[in-house]
Amino acid sequence: MTAKISHEDIQKVIKSVPLLSASANQLLQTSTDPDHDLVHIVNIVKTDATLTARVLKVVNSAAFGLINEITSLDRAISYLGERLIVGIAIGDCAAQLFDKQLKGYEGEHGDLWRHDLRTAIASREVVTQSSSKINPDLAFTAGLLHDIGKALISDFLQGTASEVLDKIENDEISDYLSAEEEMIGFDHPRAGYELALAWKLPGAITEVIRFHHTPSEAKEELQELVYAVHLGDNIAMMGGCGTGADSMHYKLDPNYTKFIELKPDVLANIMLVVNEEFDKLERSFSESGESN
Amino acid sequence: MSQIILGVGDYGASNSPGEDVKTFALGSCVSVVLLDPKTRTVGMVHVALPESSINQAKSREKPGYFADTGIPALLAAMVKFGCNPKGKGMVVKLCGGANVMDTNDTFQIGKRNALSIKKILWKYGMGAVSEDLGGNFSRTVTVSVDTGEIILSSPGRPNWKL
Repeated sequence: MTAKISHEDIQKVIKSVPLLSASANQLLQTSTDPDHDLVHIVNIVKTDATLTARVLKVVNSAAFGLINEITSLDRAISYLGERLIVGIAIGDCAAQLFDKQLKGYEGEHGDLWRHDLRTAIASREVVTQSSSKINPDLAFTAGLLHDIGKALISDFLQGTASEVLDKIENDEISDYLSAEEEMIGFDHPRAGYELALAWKLPGAITEVIRFHHTPSEAKEELQELVYAVHLGDNIAMMGGCGTGADSMHYKLDPNYTKFIELKPDVLANIMLVVNEEFDKLERSFSESGESN
Repeated sequence: MSQIILGVGDYGASNSPGEDVKTFALGSCVSVVLLDPKTRTVGMVHVALPESSINQAKSREKPGYFADTGIPALLAAMVKFGCNPKGKGMVVKLCGGANVMDTNDTFQIGKRNALSIKKILWKYGMGAVSEDLGGNFSRTVTVSVDTGEIILSSPGRPNWKL
């Protein structure tokens, strides 16, 4: 019988994880501010030598195939775009979480990073290809962090995957979210929410982390963003890129149609673009020594 | 043991003794496996989407990506091993085509992939003798060239055969 965990157990795990760096925090806050410019992003990166070096490594990685090396930070940021800069910063700072092998989900090493990266790309594509008014880069960043809670509860779930899959197969549990709650009394969106509060993440991102499987429960003014990441998450799983035994064992909320129009052809195109973009970014991040 | 690893949209074939043909993490994608007993050739294509009309350029670059261009491309590749160009005598097996839970029509890409593949195979007079399609889980597929045996795996489950 797996033990139920408490709020204090989660807080203990959160305290054991390094906080986001000052620049990662500033980048997150700035990028979610609707009135910011790229120059604000450049100014934050310039103050962080490690981050600057990473950005230059990524932009010059073989995956981007640039003929001439980019040596100026301004040009690198302009070329990569804001979302990748934020992505690099988050991936670097939260490496301890993203690199964790999710044994509780029977996941492979690097699965969490790959799934979150693919969700980030997919969430952004959902927004850009559906004429949604959401900031695409915000959708990307929220997608990148949406499943961070899994890294916190994975260890508590060890050994449960087989039993959970049997119960779902026998209709004793409806999906993996309910399974997490039944097994340990805590699900990954809630765990991620606790981390988001501890890291003082922007409200919009916190809301996505908390409600990405139950978007209808999110604050009304943020539901469109939460639904975008909800769809991005499902698209990533449909692409075979999940975090282990739980992949695809979550419910799609069909009420996304209230906010986001997606015809089947558009969805097919999104899946195609996501596949190509993911291949490129995954390669560039691993070539430059980012989370993998 | 040598392996041919196929990614999304790839296709390939082998009749080398001791070799496996493998593809990973089929979510809504479908793996079409063609076994030719006469030449002892195993062919596979990892199909991601039903129709190439949504992106003709992609279908030229990677025909295996779509069901309607992937199956002809695989058959053409297998001709090099002495197989019949129309797939006559081949044994067909299908894996994958999963969907997320409670999905609506739009998101049933796994189901649409499977149906599209079956329609195209039908045009060649072919049909699957066995299949492991649908469900809510992703599959990794390994086919042995020596025996034609197909082993499926998915996280949290013991391996099983098709």
